[in-house]
Parts: sequence; C-alpha cells; structure tokens
Amino acid sequence: MPVLSIAKNEWARLFMSKHGWVAIFAFGLIWGLFLFYVIRPAAQYISSIDVGFISDFLFPRFDVDALSRWDATEIGLYWIFALYLLPFFTMISAADQIASDKARGTLRFLVLRASRSQIFFGRFLGQYLVQLLVILVTLVSVLALIAFYSPDNVPVALSEAPIVMVNLALVLLPYVALMALFSVLSSSARQATLYAIIGWIVLWFLLGYIQNKFGPIAVLDWVLPGSQFSSLIKLRGWDTLSLAPIPLIQTIVLLTLGWVAMHRSDL
Amino acid sequence: MNVINTKGLSKHYGSVAALDSLDLSLESGEPIALIGPNGAGKTTLLSLLCGFIRPSAGTAQVLGHAVGSKALSGKMSALPQDAHLDPRFSIQKQLRLFARLQGMSGGEPTKEVHRVLDAVQMADASGKKPGELSHGMRKRVSLAQALIGKPALILLDEPTAGIDPPNVKIIRDLVRSESKNATFVISSHNLDELEKLCGSVVYLSKGKLIESGPLDATSDDGFLTLRLPSVPEDQFLRECSKLPGVLAVQRQAQGDYLIHQTEGHAVDQALLSMLAKNGWRYRHLIKGRSLEERLYG
Repeated sequence: MPVLSIAKNEWARLFMSKHGWVAIFAFGLIWGLFLFYVIRPAAQYISSIDVGFISDFLFPRFDVDALSRWDATEIGLYWIFALYLLPFFTMISAADQIASDKARGTLRFLVLRASRSQIFFGRFLGQYLVQLLVILVTLVSVLALIAFYSPDNVPVALSEAPIVMVNLALVLLPYVALMALFSVLSSSARQATLYAIIGWIVLWFLLGYIQNKFGPIAVLDWVLPGSQFSSLIKLRGWDTLSLAPIPLIQTIVLLTLGWVAMHRSDL
Repeated sequence: MNVINTKGLSKHYGSVAALDSLDLSLESGEPIALIGPNGAGKTTLLSLLCGFIRPSAGTAQVLGHAVGSKALSGKMSALPQDAHLDPRFSIQKQLRLFARLQGMSGGEPTKEVHRVLDAVQMADASGKKPGELSHGMRKRVSLAQALIGKPALILLDEPTAGIDPPNVKIIRDLVRSESKNATFVISSHNLDELEKLCGSVVYLSKGKLIESGPLDATSDDGFLTLRLPSVPEDQFLRECSKLPGVLAVQRQAQGDYLIHQTEGHAVDQALLSMLAKNGWRYRHLIKGRSLEERLYG
C-alpha cells in the first residue's frame, strides 16, 4: 500500500533522522518546563482559590467556568492550554509535508512510483499520526503528574483523558490539512508556515469585515480552523463532540483544495 | 514494441511554446538519443512523459499506457535532471522505500537495492547520506534508483552533465550493459557520448521535432570522418584530395577531417594505404559523418 509506506516514512523522518530527534528533544524540553512550571503550579493555585475568579482573570476571552467543567484541574488546564498551543505546534511541525521534497526534486522520484494522491494523503496521514502521538505523550505526562502529586484525582483524570484526547485529535485535523495545502503551495517548510499564518490572519480580518458590513452570517463563523474553540470550552464531557462536524468539514475542504493544488502543480 | 507515442503534444509557458505539437513514435531496442540546443524542449518532453508536468495540449502514451497510469509503476523509470535524494536519509533507506512503492515486499527491497547499487558500483555507499557523496557518485546513485525493478523504459535527462570522466565511463558502461534489458532514452549535449551509445536519434529545436531516425542513416554513406593526431595539414589535404572517388576534404572545428566521396566508391582502403605510406597514424575512421556534423554542420 503506497499510502501506508509514505505515511510510515513520515514517521521515519521524525524518528530516524538527527533533525527529527533534535525537534523531539526541543519539544520535550519545552513541554517539561511547561508541565512543571505552568500546569502544576497553576493547578495547585486554582485548587486553593475561587475557580470563577481565576478563570475570569486568566482566560477572560474564554469562558469564566472553563476550568470548573473538568473534575481534574490539571486535565482542565491541559485541555485549555493544548487547545490553543498545539495548533501552533502543528503549523510548524507539519509544514514540510511536500514543500522541501518538491523544491529539491525528491518528489519526482516518488511520483514515478506512486500517484500524487497517494503521496499527498500518505504524507497527511503520517503527519496526523505524529500529531496524535504528541497529544498522547503530552496527555500521558499530565496523567503522570497527577499520579505523582494528586493521586486521589487519578480515577477522575483517567475518565476525562479520553474526552480530551478525542477532542484534540479532532481539533488538530484541519491544521494538518491546512499545512498539507500550504506545503504544496510553498517551496520550504518555513514559507508554508508563514503563508498559513498570513492566510489565516487575512481570512480572519476578511470574515470580520464581511460580517461588519453585511451583518452576522452564521456559516462564516466556522470557516477558520479553531473558530469553534470559544464554544468548545463551554461544553462539558462528551458533549464537546457536538462541535465535531466543524473541524471535520474544514478538513475535507482543505484536503480537497490541497489535493487539487497537488494535481495541478508542476514538479 | 512501441515505447513512446505522442500526438500533438504541447507545453506552453505563457506565450512561450516549450514543446509545440510533437508527434513522435519510438520503438524499443537500442538507446535513443534525445538532442537539441538549450531550450529545444528535451527536458520538457521527458518531464511530460514522466508526469512531472501536465501538457497544454495533446496526448502521450508510454508503453501503451497513458502518462501517470498506475500500470507504469515499475515499468518506466527516469533519472530526472536536478532531482536530489533527501539529504536526511541514507541511500539504502530511500531506495528501499522506492522499491516498496513499486510493490516489492519482505526482503525483496533490500535485495533489489543491493543489486542496483552493485550495478552502479556504489555498494559501499548504501549506508551513506547523499551529502557524503561527490556529484558523480550522487548521479550514479540516482541512476541506481532508475534501475529498481528492472523497468522496460528508462529516461535519462543529462546523465553525465558536470561529472568527471571516470564516472562518465561507469554510467556509459552501465547503460550499454543494461540496454539489453531496457530501452533508454538519453537526453544530453554530449553528442560524442550519445554516438557511442545510441542507435537512433530524436532531434528537437525550439520545441519542434526536426529529425527522428537511426544514427547510421544510409543517406550518410557519402562521407568518411577521419581523426588524426598530428599530421601536416596542407600535405594531408593535398594527398587526400588526389585519391580516386574523393570529392572534397574539409578540416572540422574539432580536428576531424570530413571526406566527401562519390557514391559506390570505396575510398577507405585507398585512404588507409595513403596514411600508411606517409607514416601517418590515425585515431579513428568512421563511415559517415559525426552526429554533430550531421546536425549542425
């Protein structure tokens, strides 16, 4: 199966190259610092004071009770931080699905043996699985933190962890698809990330302008990846899946655009 | 067997026609030289046949299948110009992936990678990354990837460009030995090289087909090409012109002498006798004109 071989090779790009290990080490280091110097002290602090006050103070743009919807405070904190930080990580780490191989000509060797669709979706699948691994590893590290510092919270954290895992897996889907699209249109990973950020900001302003000029248009609220975040953190437990169609539809649209761009581009 | 068939194949970049309504039919067999000046459309043609770019008009079939067809995987391969392997992975790892994508499984990819690296005399480099190799070695490795799965058609775009004579010789010998199993189409500016390797030629200029046919064309029988290391030029021209059947003798820019003879006259025997009599050694004597002379003379 060429798609699986190509997806597997994306993992090899991460785990079997020096560049990949440097990225893993850097991410591990940053995540470790974040876990011990942000999530843990914040969880201790929030547990000791009025949740309504602190969530209002820390996350005024979100929902005042965002944290109180989670029985394990660390899981609630992880959920909110991951929701806003992991997409940025994805936009950087998944940016080189096609770009550098296309610029270097390596893609030509692949196109002789696999269709453009197989390459495009294989790379997307591989990168998405890498993002799933990131979610899994970071979530397990939070569970380990809970087990070590607040063992009483372990059962409730274990029951909430799958909800966070599934939701984050859905949230990151359109971001990987977004980078698949921009990776086809760019000649380097850095350029793909820049294009994606610029594109996102331009679209955000454009949508705001349209809504200001012509009044609220409901469907435009869901065009941008991440547009459901503020609604998502207001939901509790598996109710969060009620917003799942948004990232799924965004992913289908972005993948279709990327697939068309891949088929139309000269190699 | 027909290996390449194009009908009205065109590629335009804005108002520039890189390839203009090309009708071409090539049969399997001896290597085919694809020649023409810069901008003639050689790389464009090969890129279209490989599916790297899409035609503006017309159709192309390779081995009886449409370009990009799944059926071509493993049957057609190429050494694209300016295409490089991923610098982050070893040669072996990348070639194994190519073999797997061609449908090989289990221990087959590893065996096949050893075979093709042996063929280009690069077995020692299998664990190395592309950045650790010289330009010529990288070219040989790129050629190795084109041999994976023993394809029936191999397209080589400038395989010897910018590489040193030892590497050129290895590539030439390899093409010669592999041409028993596959049809090669070789694009190059090195006409001497192509003449040594190829049985037929496709000549493009400004995106159009100028000539297509065998290299040893019978229409070229009225010529002999002689290369001499060092002889008194005026004396040679005088003596040679006197030989029966010789119509004209010209000194070519690259140092060869082009002898125009009358039809049906065997000038070569008399010419060799004249050289022996004067004690002049010759490097080679070719029936017909060099490819360069035929095309640009």
